[in-house]
Amino acid sequence: MRDMNDDRDEMIRRIVDELKTLPAVPADATARVLARVDAARRAEGVGARASADDDDVIFFPSSTEEMQAVPAAEGDSARILAARGGSGAPGRFGRRFVISLPAAIGYALAATLAGFLIRGAMPRHPPEPNVARTPEIQADTLGARTTLVRAAATTRALQEAPLKVQFVLDAPRARSVTVVGDFNAWDGSRTPLERDSTTGVWSALVDVRPGRHVYAFLVDGTTWTLDPSAPRTKDLDYGTEQSVMMVGMQ
Amino acid sequence: MRVRHLVHHVRWSATVIAVLTARAASGQASQGLDSATAAAIAPIVEQARANRLPVTPLYAKAREGQVQRVPLARIEAAVRMLADRMHAADDALAPDASEQELSAAADAIKSGVPPETLRLMRKAGGDGSLAVPIGVLTQLIARGVPVERASMEVVALLQRGAVAKNFIALEESVRQDVLAGRRPDESLDLRLKGIIPNLPQTATEVGSDGLTKAASTPKRPR
Repeated sequence: MRDMNDDRDEMIRRIVDELKTLPAVPADATARVLARVDAARRAEGVGARASADDDDVIFFPSSTEEMQAVPAAEGDSARILAARGGSGAPGRFGRRFVISLPAAIGYALAATLAGFLIRGAMPRHPPEPNVARTPEIQADTLGARTTLVRAAATTRALQEAPLKVQFVLDAPRARSVTVVGDFNAWDGSRTPLERDSTTGVWSALVDVRPGRHVYAFLVDGTTWTLDPSAPRTKDLDYGTEQSVMMVGMQ
Repeated sequence: MRVRHLVHHVRWSATVIAVLTARAASGQASQGLDSATAAAIAPIVEQARANRLPVTPLYAKAREGQVQRVPLARIEAAVRMLADRMHAADDALAPDASEQELSAAADAIKSGVPPETLRLMRKAGGDGSLAVPIGVLTQLIARGVPVERASMEVVALLQRGAVAKNFIALEESVRQDVLAGRRPDESLDLRLKGIIPNLPQTATEVGSDGLTKAASTPKRPR
């Protein structure tokens, strides 16, 4: 009944290979996507064994030659028929792709999840339109372009991996100290400093991506305090002073 | 048929959960903003999304204002200006800038760096991340090196094959010199003499793409 597994396995294998090459994807991401796809396929298997009266089946042709409409049988009004084998008996299909609506939703869901997982590692810009004049050249060009862009994104992702930065503030009378900056989206709750009970020095080790960063300490939740050991800069948007640091390997 | 209907329901439920999760993720970015601020910047954020720009820096900018108790109108203006700068940075660093690069470039534009300099940096920097070179450029300008001079030198360093550690070393040296009382532009001149001879393309200075060749006579950014 269904003879598309080889093609789809190849496609899934390629997707999995692609996912494995991407950085910054949680270790179990590939397994979760595979599980989702597998679940969708199993469910489709159940659908295939169901009654021939399934009313929401969409047939996709595997070639333009197969784009022959099959006369719908009486009672098949909800069925979309768009393909059949060229030499097959009426009602019997040669090589074709068959996918039920639930399975299509399942795959779409899996693709959406995969998209969420690899978002950020993939280029955000679509390929420029009119890159090539013919569909064949366009396909080749876009393929090569996608590969290059992905390689560049991977290189950048590696170079932009976070480094550990220690923040220190000597504030023995403070009840709480947090650090806020562009590296933690200015969210004080994310990065509290811990107090050394013997010295009264507050410190925290924070993951920060390479580059220039501005920050400040919030003492007791409200007092904006600059880092005495760091250079300062004036923020042009809000007019306040901030501490500056350059993060990167020397 | 019962199994099939069950599968139907499971799939629809999964779809609904996926949609809700996506919405929750979107809401998480605005977490920590009061409702008035979130509402004020919502159209700017939506526009940025439509332009395929990362929106996390916009929320961060709003939160930065909120934590400093800046009036709402000023927060909204700052977020709008950041969105504009990110758009310009995105154009300059096309076709594929990382969020780090975009944030760094937006800061650089705020400091007066022309987008054309960012374009030259992208050309010269190849596949490497520009987050550090752009950050160093911004910091050199903040220290008092004239924009045009700093831009030209940073582009030239990239053309000669300088990498992040070279830029970090340069910035640190200038910082120490300035602390010791030296003028920033003098310090830059001095420290470049120590860095350039060790860069990979200084010895060759000839290339078929024009970039390497240009290393000896860096193009002046507009």
